[in-house]
Amino acid sequence: MFNKVLIANRGEIAVRIIRACRELGLKTVAVYSEVDRSALHVRQSDEAYLLGPPASRDSYLRGDKIIEIAKRSGVGAIHPGYGFLAERDDFAQAVQEAGLIFIGPRPSAIAAMGDKAVARATVAAAGIPVVPGTEGEGSLRDEELLAIAPQIGFPLLIKATAGGGGKGMREVDQLQEMPGLLAAARREAEAAFGDGNVYLEKLISEARHIEFQIMADSYGNVIHLGERECSLQRRHQKLLEESPSPFMDDELRSRMGELACRAARSVDYLNAGTIEFLVDADRNFYFLEMNTRLQVEHPVTEMVTGVDIVREQIRIARGRRLRYSQDQIQLNGWALECRINAEDPHNNFRPSTGQLTSVIPPSGPGVRVDTGVYAGFTITPYYDSLISKLICWGETRGEAILRMRRALEEFRILGVRTNIPFHQQLLDSHRFIGGQFDTRFVEERFQLEQPGQVEGKMPLIAAVLATLVTHRETQLAAQIVRRSERDTSNWKWVGRWERMHR
Amino acid sequence: MKYLATIGDRTFEIEINADGQILADGQLLAVDFHSVADQPVYSLLLDGESFEANVSSADQNIEVLLRGHLFVVTVEDERQRRLRESTSAGPIQEGEYSLTAPMPGLVVAIPVEEGQPVEHGQNLVILESMKMQNELKAPRAGTVGRIRVRTGDNVEQNQTLLSLT
Repeated sequence: MFNKVLIANRGEIAVRIIRACRELGLKTVAVYSEVDRSALHVRQSDEAYLLGPPASRDSYLRGDKIIEIAKRSGVGAIHPGYGFLAERDDFAQAVQEAGLIFIGPRPSAIAAMGDKAVARATVAAAGIPVVPGTEGEGSLRDEELLAIAPQIGFPLLIKATAGGGGKGMREVDQLQEMPGLLAAARREAEAAFGDGNVYLEKLISEARHIEFQIMADSYGNVIHLGERECSLQRRHQKLLEESPSPFMDDELRSRMGELACRAARSVDYLNAGTIEFLVDADRNFYFLEMNTRLQVEHPVTEMVTGVDIVREQIRIARGRRLRYSQDQIQLNGWALECRINAEDPHNNFRPSTGQLTSVIPPSGPGVRVDTGVYAGFTITPYYDSLISKLICWGETRGEAILRMRRALEEFRILGVRTNIPFHQQLLDSHRFIGGQFDTRFVEERFQLEQPGQVEGKMPLIAAVLATLVTHRETQLAAQIVRRSERDTSNWKWVGRWERMHR
Repeated sequence: MKYLATIGDRTFEIEINADGQILADGQLLAVDFHSVADQPVYSLLLDGESFEANVSSADQNIEVLLRGHLFVVTVEDERQRRLRESTSAGPIQEGEYSLTAPMPGLVVAIPVEEGQPVEHGQNLVILESMKMQNELKAPRAGTVGRIRVRTGDNVEQNQTLLSLT
């Protein structure tokens, strides 16, 4: 049984895991790169050790160094979070071989589910429907893929065999454009995962992305914690998640949940995991992939089930039994999560970096903020753009939406651009409110409003604000130029001027 | 002092006179205006109604982020407007175009060579930032001039990557 945990991650998820450890009375060890010396996870942990230069491959991906630090600092277990080393079976294996506990599934399960082609073959054998595609063959050459593509039919997707998070993924509408897209997908996959292998998959139209949270202990108990609706994506990156899904009913939930548990059993799964499904308009569902780790969006499930997933992960890793049976899991109310990214929604979601000058998170009833940043922290281009997650709970979906709108308006982040305005407008859209959306909604049918289209008095208010700021600046400039008229220093004078206009 | 604030195709006439009062589109309103904690955030009380917005200048414009909407506002006083109206149409769009990095990142690939003719929309540089690959495309047809970076270079925001003639 371990009493000290190393967290092999950074950002909000490292902070989330530290919180769970603290509540369980466990000591924590953080690791960090050179640019993360003053990151929140370093500040909040009991011990922290430097990994190396900023680039992930020199820091958070250095499994060897992380294990060395773990041994030196006397931890008993390593929690990988998500991303980085979370789904690397060789790392999980190395952790075990070093005599430490990996808080996650067994290396064999990570390997089976990590190669998506093998994963599809495994779950298909267990009787779970899969999307048509080049299953079971991870390393086809371009010529072979081009030959198979017309049999699958267009549109189709090129996906990275080792992939996740939309990297190395391309959509193909016709054969002619496929060679170029294949090259781009391979290049991106090679850069992101060190593996340029890709496979093809039929694109399901009007698809919803619905996933099931699984928990499994080492005594053979497997339960699901209901679903999460993750259809709102842009470039295959999730933006807003909710639980339950407005598309789901009890009958479909129990059927999909049961199959999700069966998929987990097919690889002898342990700890927390997620089975992703595509669901079409006729409620046919297909296995998409299994994420053998904690998900970014796990808090929405925590809010509606009351289960602390990270704490359960640690308990399971300590050899305890699951505290819940399937019939004890009830979904209570509704939860939404908005991913707050350092991206400029008005500029094609371009990453935004720089120092955060002010961060005022929302609070109040039903609001949860998971974050890894604070005012004064600098957002660097080395890691992904997620800086915060805003989660709101309500008794009904409508209430959760209203609460989320309120919380988004309260959230103040200055210094970098964020996608908060995107979320605010998304939550105002009729289709979102009506639950009428699929995985292509954000990219194809949702557009940020042009300022000229905004009705009501807001344009006038904006004009007044812009004018007042301009007026103030011109006046200030004019007064600073007339230096000789004053007998005191400019700073003193500006201070007085400011006070006078307060 | 009289100003004209333009958002898209709408123009508002705003007059700032005595302290605490403005004339906005013909309405006389009581104004109380503060910057909050030395940040580019402003609190505005307009006839008792409270608004808070993030106001920053960008190029020649003022950007106002208000209740989830970004308004790009051009503010001119009367003298500036007369000046603009008396000068002829804007500068002619030709000559050399410099492709600059829109964000800091790593140059992953440069799929063009110096002297190569390119079409509008063709990829010039692939830049990786925050784990995403961003394809920087040609804004118009032309010929690739000098390439100032190499694959594997880390570049700063606004650094010139290559020129297009």
